[in-house]
Amino acid sequence: MWQYEKKLQYPVNIKNPNPKLAQIIITQYGGPDGELAASLRYLSQRFSMPYNELKGLLTDIGTYVSKLKAPLSGRF
Amino acid sequence: MTNEQTMMLRRLSSVQFALAELTIFLDTHPNNAEALKMFNMYSEKYERLMTEYQRKYGPIVARDSDGNTDWEWINSPWPWENTKEMRK
Repeated sequence: MWQYEKKLQYPVNIKNPNPKLAQIIITQYGGPDGELAASLRYLSQRFSMPYNELKGLLTDIGTYVSKLKAPLSGRF
Repeated sequence: MTNEQTMMLRRLSSVQFALAELTIFLDTHPNNAEALKMFNMYSEKYERLMTEYQRKYGPIVARDSDGNTDWEWINSPWPWENTKEMRK
């Protein structure tokens, strides 16, 4: 189970909004072959993983990437 | 956001990053004594910083809200609203 933290990953102060760059970054994250899609696969595949080290790894990387979503919304 | 608040948030974010990296490292190196020691050190820092930051600036985690007066969780600033123009 996860919990929401009311903070960005790092404090951010955008001085020069750049929508083109924003689109590239958001696509890397949420687009085809994006990090988010990969993290959802990890979170699903951990259930059939027989090794504890890798149950942990799949869970923790999946969790870490899912956390990145909030900072990306509305920052550009 | 004051400078002091930003600095404190930065410190908190650094500690959280260290914990995230150590977590993933320890998953595949569960008996690494040095990593375990670092993890415990940063865990302690994290607890201290969270307590201090939330005491000063309000809840970061809903569960740590002070429910004595009002439900400040919804009324304290949300992370995507950090400019004066965006806040109501």
